[in-house]
Amino acid sequence: MKQIDPMDIAELKAELETLHSASFGWALSCCRRDRGEAEDVLQTVYLKILEGKARFRGEAAFKTWLFAVIRQTAAGEYRRKLLRSLKLITGAEQAGDRASPEVGPGAAFEKSEVQIRFQTALKSLPTRQREALHLVFYEDLSLREAAEVMGISIGSARQHYERGKKRLRETLDTAEVAYGISWRRKENPDAV
Amino acid sequence: MELVGEEKKIQTLFSELRLADEQTVPSFGATWNRAQARALRPRRAFNLSFVAATALLICALVSLAWWSTHWQRPQPNVVAVTPSGVVPDRKPSAGVPASKESPAPSGSEPKKSVSAGHRFEGSARLRAGRLAARQEANLLAAEKKQAAAISSWQSPTATLLSSPNDDLLKSLPQLNESTNDLKSFLPNTPK
Repeated sequence: MKQIDPMDIAELKAELETLHSASFGWALSCCRRDRGEAEDVLQTVYLKILEGKARFRGEAAFKTWLFAVIRQTAAGEYRRKLLRSLKLITGAEQAGDRASPEVGPGAAFEKSEVQIRFQTALKSLPTRQREALHLVFYEDLSLREAAEVMGISIGSARQHYERGKKRLRETLDTAEVAYGISWRRKENPDAV
Repeated sequence: MELVGEEKKIQTLFSELRLADEQTVPSFGATWNRAQARALRPRRAFNLSFVAATALLICALVSLAWWSTHWQRPQPNVVAVTPSGVVPDRKPSAGVPASKESPAPSGSEPKKSVSAGHRFEGSARLRAGRLAARQEANLLAAEKKQAAAISSWQSPTATLLSSPNDDLLKSLPQLNESTNDLKSFLPNTPK
């Protein structure tokens, strides 16, 4: 991908628009599937780019750079949110603007049993492992690109990826077994 | 990346998730416009957290300054040594605090007085105080002896410096003396 001139807003906007959907997905993952927060993060990222606080210098692919900015911004927002919760300041004002996570066509899908189990398992993973899996499977990035986004070496990224896969499988298996037992109990309460 | 077995399963789950997410993606235009509006919004000259941090820092500095000016070192004031060996049965008065009493040299062993307010303190502390006072008195006595010895010291070769002609060497002729008297100061003239 060619280097984006920071001054060329129109070109930059076109690039961002192309990656908007993927960026939102990544922001969602970074914000622990909180849609409102993900939207705020994405908006802040665009603001940073507009103000020149985040500048693409062509050292990596544009997508990789953008994802790294999103990740950093999400981490910053999370810290700020933690601080706010410590101060016992409720974000009632912001919450009013946000759409509820359950609202929308995706909510019905997320209620499906398999996806609930999958998302629960995904949430139970350590952040780095979850990020590695998301970047590889959701965003179709290579491990090298995932490592660049996460700001770690490719070896570490591979380790997080492998461990994440293993842990996700284990969690899903456990959930499946538990679900199966409860399902059978529901159907036949006398069964042990 | 080539996927096998379980990876395909995970890939499928992620694909489903992506499809669901794509249906709820906010429009790019709206997000971009909001970001642009935020960029154009006039910023506050200072933010609240910065002000709070500065105020906290100033408070800390002021309290530190106040503490450093009002802080007094805890004073031992257990033992007061009297110079004359007489124990003044001094009670702590408002005018003269007990802590201002300073030890003075004395020939005999210094007597100590324990202020009434500190009598409850442990015997170990008293013993330590007494010992310190005794050591100080001994030190002062030794210094006095040394000073006396230094003042009366004479060089062992001092006698070699005196000669029979000391009178001539150490005296000068007076201007109103007679010529005959002055002749005595001239070396080669017959007297």
